[in-house]
Amino acid sequence: MKPVGRPQAGGDGRTDRDLVYAARDGVTEAFDALFYRYRDGIFRLGLAITRDPSAADEIVIDTFARAHRALARLEPDDSLRPWLYRVAVNLSYNRRPRKNVVLSSLDDAVDEALADEEGSPSNVAEQAELRRLVLGAVDELGPKHRLVVVLHYLNGLNLTEIAQVVDCPIGTVKSRLHYALRRLRTHLAAHPELGIEPSRPLLATGLRAPRPITAPVPLEDE
Amino acid sequence: MKLFARGCGLSQLPYTARAEDLSIRDRFDIEAHAASCPECAAALRDAHSVDAALRSAFGPLRERRAMLAPGRVRLALNSSRVERSTFVRVPRFFGRLAEVSVMVGVTLFVIGGSVEYPQAVVPQHARSVIQEYFLKQPPTDEINYFRWLRLNQPESPKVVSDPVRFPVGGRYDFDLVEPVRAPTASPR
Repeated sequence: MKPVGRPQAGGDGRTDRDLVYAARDGVTEAFDALFYRYRDGIFRLGLAITRDPSAADEIVIDTFARAHRALARLEPDDSLRPWLYRVAVNLSYNRRPRKNVVLSSLDDAVDEALADEEGSPSNVAEQAELRRLVLGAVDELGPKHRLVVVLHYLNGLNLTEIAQVVDCPIGTVKSRLHYALRRLRTHLAAHPELGIEPSRPLLATGLRAPRPITAPVPLEDE
Repeated sequence: MKLFARGCGLSQLPYTARAEDLSIRDRFDIEAHAASCPECAAALRDAHSVDAALRSAFGPLRERRAMLAPGRVRLALNSSRVERSTFVRVPRFFGRLAEVSVMVGVTLFVIGGSVEYPQAVVPQHARSVIQEYFLKQPPTDEINYFRWLRLNQPESPKVVSDPVRFPVGGRYDFDLVEPVRAPTASPR
């Protein structure tokens, strides 16, 4: 869990706890500081789930509106960041289109103007192609596994915070992340330009097969 | 009995190690274990490649920023407060009440109503009160008046000069009580 006493990123030296206490007392600047601190992360999370920038904007507003209403009963000693992300995840899944609607790829959410690949045009095109491959593979994951990957690689949450966001034990989060990364590894091994070797048989790696648990015991009479 | 090769029990660790806040010592332990375990060494190498690919792919997405100001949140909070205020809800409540009343009325009319005017059931034996009243009035002509005095009974109901002018009949122009005929004077 993120220490609550440590100042968070965002240009303000105050901790989340101090800002929550100040916002409770009606200090508008404290709530604004919390908004600017977590606005972009929640926007990116909503964008990754809904693939719709306008819906992501609304998710940011709704999330902080709920936070403002919940200020009185919010526990400042708990980490605010997982709480906000949890609200944002729930709002994002509520705003997702129905199943029969084909969502655009996660790669479409990337603003090309911000993709600052450097080098020759061929290098830029190659980077964009690799990114399309990886994000397409992430799209192929199931919702639970994709959410864990997005929360870690896009929002930078660690396993403990992810467990608080998705409301499940940390072991489950580990298992989901392990499964997701192995699936991605299998999926991306077909593209050697990513530098991922195809999976090899167990014996080819030099690992010997384990001994049988029940070894045949020779009979004395034989 | 079919036997499956069981891999190293720590092979999950290389994949999740980057997401955990591991200490330097823990990371060295993992690498030391991977040096002696080929499966974990391969997992560590693959996890590193997948991790690098994912971080590279999510890099441009991490640069996306929202162009929102906290005023939007305050606007949303104020609009929701106005909606919940009593001054807005009361007219809406009465509007809904009127709608529901009309709906209930129409429904009841359709179920059991009728456009016909309700007909009053007048018993056959009932006599008109107004007509009785006029019949008891003394006649105006002299001969019939004396006869009426003598017999206390008009000879004929023609005393009503113009019955059309009087509100004879109607829904309430009858007496439900059975009229008890008074003993009339019998001719001696």
